[in-house]
Amino acid sequence: MELEPRTFEDVPGEVGLVEWKDFVSHKPLRFESGEQLPGFTLRYETYGKLNADKSNAILICHALSGDHHAAGVHRLRDRKTGWWNNIIGPGKPIDTTRFFVICSNCIGGCQGSSGPSSINPETGNPYNLDFPIVTIADMVNAQHRLMTDGFGIERLFAVIGGSMGGMQALQWAISYPDALDRLLPLATTARQGAQTIAFNAVGRVSIIQDPDWNDGNYDHDHGPDVGLSVARMMAHITYLSDKGMDEKFGRERVHSTDARGRFGAEFQVESYLRYQGQSFINRFDANTYLYLTKALDQFDLYGSSGKLEDALAVVKARTLVIGFTSDWLFPPEQNRAIVHALLRCGKQASYAELDMSLGHDSFLVHTPELYELVHRFLN
Amino acid sequence: MTRTGIKRETDLQLISDWIEPGNRVLDIGCGRGILLEHLHQTKATYGIGVDTDLSKIQSCIKRGVNAYQGEAESLLAQFPDRFFDWVVLSRTAQELGNPVEVITEALRVGKHLAIGFANYGYWKNRAALLKTGNVSTSNVFPDSWKSGTPYHPISVNSFEAFCQKAGFTIERAIYLGGDWKSPCQTFPNLRAGYALYALAQ
Repeated sequence: MELEPRTFEDVPGEVGLVEWKDFVSHKPLRFESGEQLPGFTLRYETYGKLNADKSNAILICHALSGDHHAAGVHRLRDRKTGWWNNIIGPGKPIDTTRFFVICSNCIGGCQGSSGPSSINPETGNPYNLDFPIVTIADMVNAQHRLMTDGFGIERLFAVIGGSMGGMQALQWAISYPDALDRLLPLATTARQGAQTIAFNAVGRVSIIQDPDWNDGNYDHDHGPDVGLSVARMMAHITYLSDKGMDEKFGRERVHSTDARGRFGAEFQVESYLRYQGQSFINRFDANTYLYLTKALDQFDLYGSSGKLEDALAVVKARTLVIGFTSDWLFPPEQNRAIVHALLRCGKQASYAELDMSLGHDSFLVHTPELYELVHRFLN
Repeated sequence: MTRTGIKRETDLQLISDWIEPGNRVLDIGCGRGILLEHLHQTKATYGIGVDTDLSKIQSCIKRGVNAYQGEAESLLAQFPDRFFDWVVLSRTAQELGNPVEVITEALRVGKHLAIGFANYGYWKNRAALLKTGNVSTSNVFPDSWKSGTPYHPISVNSFEAFCQKAGFTIERAIYLGGDWKSPCQTFPNLRAGYALYALAQ
C-alpha cells in the first residue's frame, strides 16, 4: 500500500537553543601514520533524546569547513542556525522527536576539538605542524571513541554525511561495519580525482606561500590570513556551479568603496567571495585547512588493488548514496561508483541523483526531494 | 482490483514463478519496486531495481528495495558476465532508447532474461490504428505522443524474428489474451494482448 507522500515544504519545528559539549578521552589515540596523542578532545552537539536501549542514535559527519553546530542556535539572537538546520529538527527528515542526533567535530579540526592549534602538553605551545597527520580513518576512530566511551552506544541507527562527511560515513561502514545499520553518504567520493586534488593544492600553496604562515608557527592572532582567505575564495567556487552562480549573481554590480578603485569588488560575485574569504579567517585555522585538505586528498578506498570492492566488501549497513547532477567537485559518477561496487559485492545499496543547479553545495540547501529521500530511507 | 491492477498482478506472478529462491534479480524499469519487494518477501532474492524516475526510486527506498537511479545501459555495464540469475524487462522494452543494446547486455549479465510487452500485433491494436489512425493508449500505457515518452510498438512476430536472428534462445513463451490474464497460445501475433518470454543466450 502506497501512503500519501509526505512533503517537507513546511518547516514543522526547530531544535531551538543548543549547547556544544566537549568529550575528553584520556586514552591514547593512535593515528594511521603511527603517531599518537596521549588523549584528545572532540566537540559535539546533540539534538533529541537517546532512548533506553540506545538504538536511535544518528551520527552526522560534517564537511571540510563545517563544524559540530549542525542545528539550532547557540543564542536566541543568533541570525544563523547550524549548517544543516533545514533537515534536522522535530518533524524534519532527520526527526529529533524520534532520533538522537549527534554531530561531532573532527580530530584535526579547529572548532574546539584537538587539532594543530591545540596546546601540546609536552611543550605548552600549540602543536602546529607537530600535530599528527590526520586521515579520514583517524577522524572516524576518534568519533567511534565518542560513541562508545562517551555515550555507550554500540550501534548507530545511521551515519550520514556530505562531502568530507560522506567520506567519514563510508569509512565508518568499513572500519566499524557492525556499528551502524544505515549509511547515507551524499555528494562524496571514494577517492578524489586529479582536478579536486589540484584545487586543494592551490589552496594549500596559497597558505604556505603567505609569509605570515611562518612554517606553521604563526601567532594565532596573526596567521596567514591572505593565504587562507584566497584558499577559501577559490574553494568556494568549486562548491557552486556555473549555472548556480549565474542565477545567484549574474553580472550584478556592487558600488565599490575600495580605495584601490577599479580593481576593487565590482561585481556581486567578487564581493561575495571576498566576504566568504574574510569571514573564513575569523573562524578557521590555516593549519587545520592544510591538514584536512590533505586528509581529503589522501583518502582512497580503491587502495593498492585499485578495486573499490576490496574496501567495501566488509560493509553491512544498508546504504543510500545521493549524488547531485551539477556537482563537479565530487561528480555524480564518483557517487555512482560507490554504489556500483557495493552492488557488485551483493550489498543492500541504492543510488539517487538530484538535479539541482547549485553544484557541490546542493546537499546543504532547502530541497524537498532530498528531504523526501532522507525521510524514506530513515523510516 | 482495477483492470490495470489485474494486468500488473498477472505479469508479476508469472515472472515470480520462474525465479528460484535466493536468485539474484535485476529489474530494469523497476517502477515502485513492487516485483522486487514481492520476490524478496516470498523467495529471499537479492534484487536491484533501476529506473530513471526519482519518484520511483523514492518509493523503492521506502520499500527497502535496492534501487539505482540512472540509465539501464550504464548500470548493466558495471556487472560481470552472468552476475544475475534473472534480468527482468517487464513492460519496459518499448520505452528504451536502445532496446537491442539493453537486451544484449541483459543477456550478458543475466543467465536468463524475462521480457514482457504489450503485443502491438493484437487485433484490437490493429483495428484501433485502422479506425483512428493513432497508436492506441490504455490505462497501462496512458501516454500519447504528446507526453514525449518514446514508444516502440513491438509485436510477437517481430520480436521472435529478432531473437532468432540474434541467436537468443526462447526458453519459455507465454501469451495472454486481451485481458492480459487468460492464456492464449494459438495465433499469438494476432490474438495475444501480452507476451512474456524467458530468454537465454
